[in-house]
Amino acid sequence: MSRVVVCTWGTTGGAAELLTLGHGVATALGTELVWVVVGPTADDLASIAGRHGVTAVDRIVDAKLTTFGGDVAVEALAQYARQFEFRLLLVPQTFDARLTAPRLAARIDAGVVMNGLALGANGGEVAVTASAFGGDTRVVYVLAGADRYVVGMSTSALAVEPAPTATTPPVRDVALDLSGSEERIQVVARTETSGPRIEEATILVAGGRGLGDKANYRLVEELAEALGGMAAASRPIVDEGWAEPARQVGLTGKITRPQLYVAAGISGASQHMVGCAAAKTLVAINRDPEAAIFRYAKYGIVGDCLEILPALTRAVKG
Amino acid sequence: MAFRIVVCAKEVLDPDAVNNYALEGKLVIGDDGKSLTQSSIPRLMNAYDEQAIEAALRIREAGVPCTITVVSVGDPGDILKHAASLGIDEPVAIQADTAALDHHGIAKLLAAFVQSRGGADLVLCGRQGSDGDQGVVSALVGEHLGLPVVTIARAIDVTATGDTFGVRVVRVTPDGDETVAVPAPAVVTVSNELGQARYPTMAGRMAARKKKITSVTPAELGVAPAALRPRVTLTKQFVPTVKGACEMIAGASADEAAANLIARLRAENVLR
Ligand SMILES: Cc1cc2nc3c(=O)[nH]c(=O)nc-3n(C[C@H](O)[C@H](O)[C@H](O)COP(=O)(O)OP(=O)(O)OC[C@H]3O[C@@H](n4cnc5c(N)ncnc54)[C@H](O)[C@@H]3O)c2cc1C
Ligand SMILES: Nc1ncnc2c1ncn2[C@@H]1O[C@H](COP(=O)(O)O)[C@@H](O)[C@H]1O
Repeated sequence: MSRVVVCTWGTTGGAAELLTLGHGVATALGTELVWVVVGPTADDLASIAGRHGVTAVDRIVDAKLTTFGGDVAVEALAQYARQFEFRLLLVPQTFDARLTAPRLAARIDAGVVMNGLALGANGGEVAVTASAFGGDTRVVYVLAGADRYVVGMSTSALAVEPAPTATTPPVRDVALDLSGSEERIQVVARTETSGPRIEEATILVAGGRGLGDKANYRLVEELAEALGGMAAASRPIVDEGWAEPARQVGLTGKITRPQLYVAAGISGASQHMVGCAAAKTLVAINRDPEAAIFRYAKYGIVGDCLEILPALTRAVKG
Repeated sequence: MAFRIVVCAKEVLDPDAVNNYALEGKLVIGDDGKSLTQSSIPRLMNAYDEQAIEAALRIREAGVPCTITVVSVGDPGDILKHAASLGIDEPVAIQADTAALDHHGIAKLLAAFVQSRGGADLVLCGRQGSDGDQGVVSALVGEHLGLPVVTIARAIDVTATGDTFGVRVVRVTPDGDETVAVPAPAVVTVSNELGQARYPTMAGRMAARKKKITSVTPAELGVAPAALRPRVTLTKQFVPTVKGACEMIAGASADEAAANLIARLRAENVLR
């Protein structure tokens, strides 16, 4: 059977978005949607699955999977793939999945595509629209030539909708033998970035090269503080050392989805926008009225950010 | 015994040039509907691969006796000459038409090359190609060779205990830096956080002129055409359109514009 499988680590990280997409694709292919949950699972698994029209939930629970480990996770999914048939296995593109997904594909001799933004089935042919050149272009990949595929989907722009008909799927525990599987990579040390993270912030004020100087990053931080939000940055100013790496938004930085994103002195390069295009409301401050950032913004102020930023701080406080 | 490093590198269209065209709204797709054909866009080494070479050179400079091989599948353009001018030991071109290959085929060839040399102690890749942003070839190579894969390195240290080598990698994760230890052989992908890759010296350039690029074919690597059949085919490329419905907020002064914006955000319940 050519089933569609949505595979998530626990129930977080874009599961609802991916189940919505998976259900649409399974319907178009005239097949079933199965949800594989690896690692920690929640009580409301069956109800989430039912809402999204899932046929069955397969749980992979193992003492070796209480915290994520790449080697064990790949082995577990490879064993799962040997037991169960499917045509498409969709994963939300988390940091860990960027490695787990292609490794799994190689292990089970499947094809693989990452960075998916949309996925469609037309006359049985499956095509993935993915981002390329840091978001400057989109490419369409047709999946043909292998029996199975692992596809990494970026879920931040996907909608969550219940399936037209709800289901009451069984929740099954899949029996696997992971006794021979050990992590080959040992974590020796971690420098946890303490405190809140920009990925979870509801309000972000981001500064770019238009700030002109390291000392002016303070203006970004002051507005962020006045708004009860966090300060963020474009890559060049992180490279220059004006802001911490943990503040970097974009392709090689963090993917954020705040309610409000204020971009000051940022041009709007696609590699930056990848990390903030999902913001609910984007405000741009740039002295160039033609700057690309205004194409993404809901509100804009054309002007010198060195004047506008402190004025905004005053307006918020006053 | 020398520590054998193989760096995988590819040629890409300069992402900054692509980006500038995109920002100006002047990026065009060729007649085939899938290629960026503007001849004014330079071709160069994928920047992450340059940093992978940099990582290899730093390992050598840290006192680990190594051999550094740089291998590219497909038309290498000038990137192997560039690699040679940086002082690596052997540049290798695997002859293939990359337009007819997918990531799976490229990884098969790279893995077969490493095997043809009796293995490697460390395979370095870039974190992703700045063209397709897929970042999958490294993982596929790792699996084909049965090696652990460590991604997004900002620093790599190699330590020798007797005859065995250990690799320590500082990786950049969303939760901050993570230091991991893995026994060699392993695959490691390198990120821009490693820092600026060096430029060739004049002497390096001169020496590179005399360096021969080794050329190998898939057949010589024992890879049959059937094993390279693509599973994923790029059929179309396009430039996404951005809506552009920005409302400009004005004011006689910075303070007035700012006050107008804040009032607007409050009215829309974006701010309280
Ligand atoms: C593979 C790759 C990955 C990348 N990853 C990322 C990433 O993760 N994140 C990221 O941000 N970038 C990334 N980049 C870089 C990206 O392409 C852009 O170069 C970068 O985002 C530009 O940063 P910027 O907007 O701060 O600077 P610039 O592009 O230099 O823009 C500065 C802007 O400020 C405006 N300005 C100047 N002075 C003032 C003033 N006084 N007041 C108001 N406005 C002013 C200018 O009009 C201009 O629009 C990546 C690039 C590549 C090739
Ligand atoms: N044609 C190629 N030749 C050599 N190495 C490659 C090639 N394509 C990809 N790679 C390596 O694999 C990494 C990831 O590429 P990609 O999966 O295309 O994003 C690159 O940074 C290179 O190190």
